Amino acid sequence: MTQDAAANPQLDFKVLAEHRVYLMKVARLQLRDEHLAEDCVSDVLTQAYEKRASFRGDSSLRTWLTTILKNRIVDLLRKQWREQPLELPDEDNDNRIDRLFDAGGHYVDMPSAVQDPAELAQQDGFLAAVQRCVDMLPKRVGQVFVLREVFGTDTKDICKDLSLTTSNVWVQLYRARMMLRTCLERGGFGHAQPR
Amino acid sequence: MIRISCQQASRLLSQQQDEPLAFGKRLRLRLHLLYCDACTNVSRQFAALRLALRHWREHD
Repeated sequence: MTQDAAANPQLDFKVLAEHRVYLMKVARLQLRDEHLAEDCVSDVLTQAYEKRASFRGDSSLRTWLTTILKNRIVDLLRKQWREQPLELPDEDNDNRIDRLFDAGGHYVDMPSAVQDPAELAQQDGFLAAVQRCVDMLPKRVGQVFVLREVFGTDTKDICKDLSLTTSNVWVQLYRARMMLRTCLERGGFGHAQPR
Repeated sequence: MIRISCQQASRLLSQQQDEPLAFGKRLRLRLHLLYCDACTNVSRQFAALRLALRHWREHD
């Protein structure tokens, strides 16, 4: 087992940089800004190189880099959220979701059946549709959702990281999922399956 | 009230992806899903969404 960088000469910058494409993909989805994502990923790789002695090798290198990326992204989001107030009043988002239901709280349109969620989740066409739909979420809703579902952060940590209340995080995630399923009704759930 | 609307059920379906539901909520949601095809579909859509994002992340 690798204990430190000296015993782990292969953890050089080149090995770290092999994960750049992966880190960029995630950073882009989270930040929606190519330059910001590039700066962020460069910071992550530099930080990882400087801290390489603390990489224990008991998690995968990718997992370790993902943690560094997540921390860096949380710093960036905190700063963004402080500097720019909310872009859209929350009621606009909620009205869009409320319209999916009639006065009795029933769905106006029948949600599409998904025969095999695990199978659908493997299809390239569906993954591309999901990515497109995530990119279309209102910015903050998308940021909270990506922290939760791509980084796998639990809601308690999201509350701490972004100074949100638990109920606010739940509302954001509910909005995200409802908007995504509405978006995927137009060319995700129904159409990605093989005929 | 033991019966809940689809709107309430959908909130619980989402919340359930983030935290275990309290007993009463879990029971109401279960009962609702027994007779509601729409929310059963939504539940599977949410499952597909979660799996897709995990897969998206790992997939180069």
